[in-house]
Amino acid sequence: MAVHKRSYRSYAGGFTPEWSRFTIITRYAFKNLFRSRLLTAYFVCCFFYPLGCAVALYVNHNLSLLSAFNARQVFAVDAGFFLSFLGVQSGFAFILTAIVGPGLVSPDLANNALPLYLARPFSRTEYVLGKMAILLWLLSLITWIPGLILFLIESSLSGGAWARANIGLAWGIFIGCGIEILVFSLLSLAISAWIKRKLAAGAALLGVFFFGSGLAQVINAVLETKNGYLIDLGNLLTTVEGSLFGHSNVVGISASSAWIALIAACVFCVALLERKVRAYEVVVG
Amino acid sequence: MSGPVNGWMSESVSAPGQTRIVFEEVSKFYGDVLGVNRVNLSIPPGITSLVGPNGSGKTTLMNLMTGLVRPTRGHIRVLGIAPDDPERLFRAVGYCTQFDSFPRGMTGYQFIYSYLRLFGYPHAKSCELAMRAIDRVSLADAAGRKIAGYSKGMRQRIKLAQAVCHNPSVLVLDEPLNGLDPLIRAETIALFRALAAEGLHLIISSHVLHEVDVISDQVILLSNGYVVAEGQIQGVRDEIQEHPMQILIRCDKPGELASQVFHNDYVVEARIHNDRQGVLVKTRDADRFYLLLNKIAQNGVEIESVAPADDDVLSVYEYLIGTEESTK
Repeated sequence: MAVHKRSYRSYAGGFTPEWSRFTIITRYAFKNLFRSRLLTAYFVCCFFYPLGCAVALYVNHNLSLLSAFNARQVFAVDAGFFLSFLGVQSGFAFILTAIVGPGLVSPDLANNALPLYLARPFSRTEYVLGKMAILLWLLSLITWIPGLILFLIESSLSGGAWARANIGLAWGIFIGCGIEILVFSLLSLAISAWIKRKLAAGAALLGVFFFGSGLAQVINAVLETKNGYLIDLGNLLTTVEGSLFGHSNVVGISASSAWIALIAACVFCVALLERKVRAYEVVVG
Repeated sequence: MSGPVNGWMSESVSAPGQTRIVFEEVSKFYGDVLGVNRVNLSIPPGITSLVGPNGSGKTTLMNLMTGLVRPTRGHIRVLGIAPDDPERLFRAVGYCTQFDSFPRGMTGYQFIYSYLRLFGYPHAKSCELAMRAIDRVSLADAAGRKIAGYSKGMRQRIKLAQAVCHNPSVLVLDEPLNGLDPLIRAETIALFRALAAEGLHLIISSHVLHEVDVISDQVILLSNGYVVAEGQIQGVRDEIQEHPMQILIRCDKPGELASQVFHNDYVVEARIHNDRQGVLVKTRDADRFYLLLNKIAQNGVEIESVAPADDDVLSVYEYLIGTEESTK
């Protein structure tokens, strides 16, 4: 047998913090995503409405401009204003998720790349977190961040008293968008992990929302109940956001039921990811 | 046959676990399907080849030692580190899968660099280690090119670079010579030797048996999830009693030599070689045969060379695994 003498020295310097390593995946994914001009163009379009809202807020407080329209104030900046803002931006966020989400995990699974990621000091949780952070950032940039900027603009124009009286709206924007982003991200990642073809995964994401809504209507009609809405993710999100802004529910299920259903949906998505995001998929039978 | 067929295993059990890869009664079942069963190994530094047909458990064994799958039973220690401690394990282990999986649009350099960042190396160190690894696999000229444009051989080498880039003590390489042309193959084998000489453990799986012979310090032969033999290949061959040893003797009078050896009961067969310049002898007792050969040499037969003809991996593989497979 050969005699071997270890003759090299391993690296003895410092390492980057463990918590920050998942950002490597996010950083490279961003580079890849914005190579697509279509996505970049769409992403820019997502800011038109917030920009329009910011201009409207300015006009709303500009006396000389208002007098030109012969009005004292064009519209009231209240819960309804921010709720409709979130409604529009949620639509943009959903389409953005349908474009970006399906391509996040499926290529790695299709190419057997997970062993490469996981053969590092890098866990499955960090991998999912790295992929999820892409959607968290993108969706945050077009939902709660511009929402809070609008809130700050209105606060600066209306004064501190308005801000203090309406601080609940800021929390509503943040928490409402937060739960929406979480549901969109987890759902798209779970679908991406289970459906390897990007186009099919995108279609499945749309299907979960639209087919779920249709199925809810059928259940409600056949069983003469309102509980069918518990599988309608769109309505669940609307109910939760409405409750955060103090609006009465419009679809007939309570806010607490909607919260529980959304949390259950998130847990189900995490379970799907746990099952699928593994170094090696074991196929028995 | 099951379990080790030579003394390598028993000799090494007493060695400190800190310098070996140790499997103790390890089994892995995928539901009802057997991956590997009751594996006991203690792998020393150097080049160790895993040899066996498809489904014999080679990749399962590699995945077990890298912690990518967990054993159903038993314990594994890689240089004293448990595979379920990835933060420590993957500082010591580099893994190269058999799959080509490269993130889209990346250059060879970016590929290595990004994985080094996942290890937690700072930017400057990652740059340095990435370039060093790329140099080692002779891809410096192509480092800035996209991997999508690489040939099969270049992809194999960049995969190898990502496995060695963080200077691991253990390299686990699944079919690392696939797709390499002869020149690059020779360079890669030389790299393996250099790494082994530095004191690394290299665990290699391969189907190309003559290469296993050339590369390996020791082999582990697997069949149907069981280790059927392990150790240095000549030692393994010596232990296989049911197959007579084949010895090729090159001499000036092959006919006379054949007639002289054939009378002995421990010689099973003596056959003139096809080129008529030697005799292929099968014997059940190599030591007695070599003594006989000395006497024949003193009696006027000029012997040019004596060489075992079946102590290579291919022969051992056929004796141990081929026969089992054929009886299925």
